[in-house]
Amino acid sequence: MSKQELLVRLGVPAQTLELWLEQQWLIPAQTTLGLTFSDIDIARAHFIRDLQSDFGVNDEAMDLVLHLVDQLNGLRYALSELRKDVR
Amino acid sequence: MRNPYEVLGVAPTASAAAIQSAYRKLAKKLHPDLNPGDKSAEEKFKELSGAYDLLSDAEKRKRFDAGEIDAAGTERPQQHYYRDYASANQDHAYADASGFADFMDGDDAFAELLRRSQEARANRPGRDLHYRLAIDFADSITGADKRLTLPDGSTLDVKIPPGLLDGQVLRLKGKGAPGAGKGAPGDALIEVEVLADPRFARDGDDISLEQPVSLSEAVLGGRIRVPTPTGAVTMTVPKGSNTGTTLRLKGKGAPRRGGGHGDQFVKLKVVLPTPPDPELEAFVAKWSKAKESDLRKDEAS
Repeated sequence: MSKQELLVRLGVPAQTLELWLEQQWLIPAQTTLGLTFSDIDIARAHFIRDLQSDFGVNDEAMDLVLHLVDQLNGLRYALSELRKDVR
Repeated sequence: MRNPYEVLGVAPTASAAAIQSAYRKLAKKLHPDLNPGDKSAEEKFKELSGAYDLLSDAEKRKRFDAGEIDAAGTERPQQHYYRDYASANQDHAYADASGFADFMDGDDAFAELLRRSQEARANRPGRDLHYRLAIDFADSITGADKRLTLPDGSTLDVKIPPGLLDGQVLRLKGKGAPGAGKGAPGDALIEVEVLADPRFARDGDDISLEQPVSLSEAVLGGRIRVPTPTGAVTMTVPKGSNTGTTLRLKGKGAPRRGGGHGDQFVKLKVVLPTPPDPELEAFVAKWSKAKESDLRKDEAS
């Protein structure tokens, strides 16, 4: 998905998305067609939008929240791998 | 669907600010990405956000209160949450093992397992990179060597195989993004666009072309030069050729998969001299009365 399509999908101003990219909250792939957002990038963008617009998470706190959520998902993955081995 | 006021836990008289704060409070508890292990969170969050969409819109809320609309149909469409991707594997850009890095130092089975998955990630293969390249029609038939300049200024040599079709994707193994650690690099995938040539049309392995010929060439026959994607060739036009007469240049089409080539079909188009030639007019006036057959006798009735 291109940057333009993502903006339409999210309904946020272009400069908001620019900030997210600048802060590396979103890390899309770079191709000759420009930035390309994969499924995980799109889902993460929706999450960032929810955090910002509905939960009042400000720019300062966003780093922290995303870091914790990524750790949580990393842990969940490690745990699910462990479960596979135990079975 | 439950009553949206009930879902949000507010009184029907609640202010917009109270509704927003009730929503935020509940959403923090129910957002699937903040509760990745709670399967029911998605369903509950859907109900909550549907209720909030209705009550946070003053116009919709008024109509709901007046009984003009009900709470059905306010649900948000199915959406994939970040958690669905982020914990499914750890080969994405956002993976983070710092929450359990210390557990990896031990010599027990758990540490071993964590180290293995960490290592797999450290040596993950590089991504495939996608590019586009436009080539001339002639190059698509004969094949060509092209050089693609990448956004970072480096170049990529691309060998266009003979007979390539518009939209075909070429894979250059190992020319994608580098892998991490011992991981192999990804591939470069190049989608090739064949630019149309106004002279030629391609149909499978065959190529067709419309070739103008003069009146004397059509009537008397002769040798003419005809363009093909591999250069012009000489072709014999038989005596008495007409517009629409199609001649075949064997082996002048696109290469076939199993070897050999398709053909080029040359469709003749007789073109009268411009400006009109008085001598020709005088001759045809004298000639036609006697010799010309009636071309439209079937349509006459």
